[in-house]
Amino acid sequence: MSDRRVFVLGGGISKMAAERPDGNIRDWVVEAAMEAVKDAGVEIADIEHATTSYFSDHFDKQLKQGAIFHDCIGMCPKPNVRVEGGGGTGGLAIRNAYAYIKAGLCDSMIVYGSENMGRHVPSDVAQQFIALASDTDWEVQVAGFYIAYYALMMLSHMEKYGTKEEQFALASVKNHRNAMYNEYAQSPMKITVDDVMNSPLITSPYKILDNCLLSDGASCLIFATEEWAKTHSTSWYRKPRIELVGTGSGTDYMRLADRPFPYPGITHFRAKKFASEQAYKMAGIKNPAKELDCFEVHDAYSGVELVSCEDLRLCGYGQSGKLYEEGYFDIGGEIPINTSGGLIGMGHPVGATGINQGIEVLTQLREEAHPQRQVKLTNGQGGMDSHGGTGTYVAVNIFRRVD
Amino acid sequence: MAKNVFQDPEKTLYPKLPKIEDIDPKDRGMVKTKLQVFTADDPIGPKLSYNPINREDQDPWKDFREIMRIEWNMEITYRHSLGKYSKFFIELENKKFFATECPKCGFVWAIPRPVCPDCLEICKWKELPGTGTLVSFSVSEFVPGFMDVETPYVLAMVKMDGADSLFTHQLRNWGTERTKIKTGMPVKVVYTKEPVIHPMLLMWYEPA
Repeated sequence: MSDRRVFVLGGGISKMAAERPDGNIRDWVVEAAMEAVKDAGVEIADIEHATTSYFSDHFDKQLKQGAIFHDCIGMCPKPNVRVEGGGGTGGLAIRNAYAYIKAGLCDSMIVYGSENMGRHVPSDVAQQFIALASDTDWEVQVAGFYIAYYALMMLSHMEKYGTKEEQFALASVKNHRNAMYNEYAQSPMKITVDDVMNSPLITSPYKILDNCLLSDGASCLIFATEEWAKTHSTSWYRKPRIELVGTGSGTDYMRLADRPFPYPGITHFRAKKFASEQAYKMAGIKNPAKELDCFEVHDAYSGVELVSCEDLRLCGYGQSGKLYEEGYFDIGGEIPINTSGGLIGMGHPVGATGINQGIEVLTQLREEAHPQRQVKLTNGQGGMDSHGGTGTYVAVNIFRRVD
Repeated sequence: MAKNVFQDPEKTLYPKLPKIEDIDPKDRGMVKTKLQVFTADDPIGPKLSYNPINREDQDPWKDFREIMRIEWNMEITYRHSLGKYSKFFIELENKKFFATECPKCGFVWAIPRPVCPDCLEICKWKELPGTGTLVSFSVSEFVPGFMDVETPYVLAMVKMDGADSLFTHQLRNWGTERTKIKTGMPVKVVYTKEPVIHPMLLMWYEPA
């Protein structure tokens, strides 16, 4: 591999909300890009390449949307590619930036992601669009939808390891709490395990407060080589330098039913294990829970976060439930997870989600987060895990502060 | 329970969206599909106690807050082919449950596959007895409306006898006590007597 190194120069987020009719999807991308350019101290005219990250053409009834985002921020006639992998879209877009810069196709890249999931369509239609991301011939027709698939997985985890619903609820409590210190977050809430347990049942064992959010919003990251940054970024000498040091990706069978036993069976995310091992190896990480200071985990549902921690090797198989009780994943714990609020507290505008995660890790490693959610840096390394379908597409990226 | 902010109407930043039929056509002005014109708030709101981006007190987008919403209808109908999977659906009408078997590795895919993904060999059709064991399930109190299913309903993952992978379908007629649904219990494929809109609905599971 080439010895070019890839750095994150800056990031920007537009406010996440259930509904943002004050603008539309292209406006949010512009908001996020304006923040990112300011944060990175660069001129948009100097950036050489773009990657577009959005999941669904249906939500905004617009195909080839990337071309609109691209021209709204003055990137024409420079190159742009779209990356798509369901909920993993944003993480894959970051990996794409790494590949393009590493390969020498460009020295700088802007990555922007967004999703319009709000009230342009009734929530029922939104559910229908999301269901189209599972196998429409075989699983949608039998009334399979994502909460139900994940419920099947969680029931299997509960049976296999004795995990309790209250332990799943702790992930929701933590993520809503962390969101209280993130002004871009959609759902800051001070709640208890009882509040989660008593909220309306959707699909056993999931209650409404176990779920992630349908969100409007966008986010943006800017990547470049060191040489490019030195000549084009005014913040290069002012802000801590954050390098993208590891990236991994994995996949699994589209349908849960087809996955091999005993591992992953319908309990685990094989793609996540596969992706994280690549990323850890690249970054030289042997014990992720000890060597990483924070991790943004794809918490589409509270139980997904618990299972993910196990497949990301942040804890042993079957141990996550007990460790949630001990505060192992809280701010101040061994490995704080979803300091931003995650998909449950921050929001889940699908194409933007992975990029939100990257921005949170950037913010944490620069020590720019709200004091109530800032983690203590010991190794100056953080990770993010972006996941589509029931772990059908996964991207894991590792960032390191290089002082 | 705690107030759920994303369900609390008082927390909604914007006026509730009216139904177009509730709006007097003369109030729609020159636009037949106009739902509303309103002034949107700054979604981040007034300067918060902590603001990492040091945004000015003033709303930078104040000249762009007059918003119009319209209703835009689209209807889509597909002429969908079931392709190389068709035999499975055709045989369901004959009350037969077919899977596919890889001639090379012998793996039987319960959700049929024309080609074994492990060997890239063309598979053979194989009839199964239509019985199996419940591996996992979820009981839903909610289902997206387009799915047209009465709640509560049960989504089941079943290990079919004679197959190596699982098969997903609804478990029906399980009675009224959901504690009676247990993993490991025997189930069987039942075929419909009523016409259906999709051939996948020609079958479901029931306790055996």
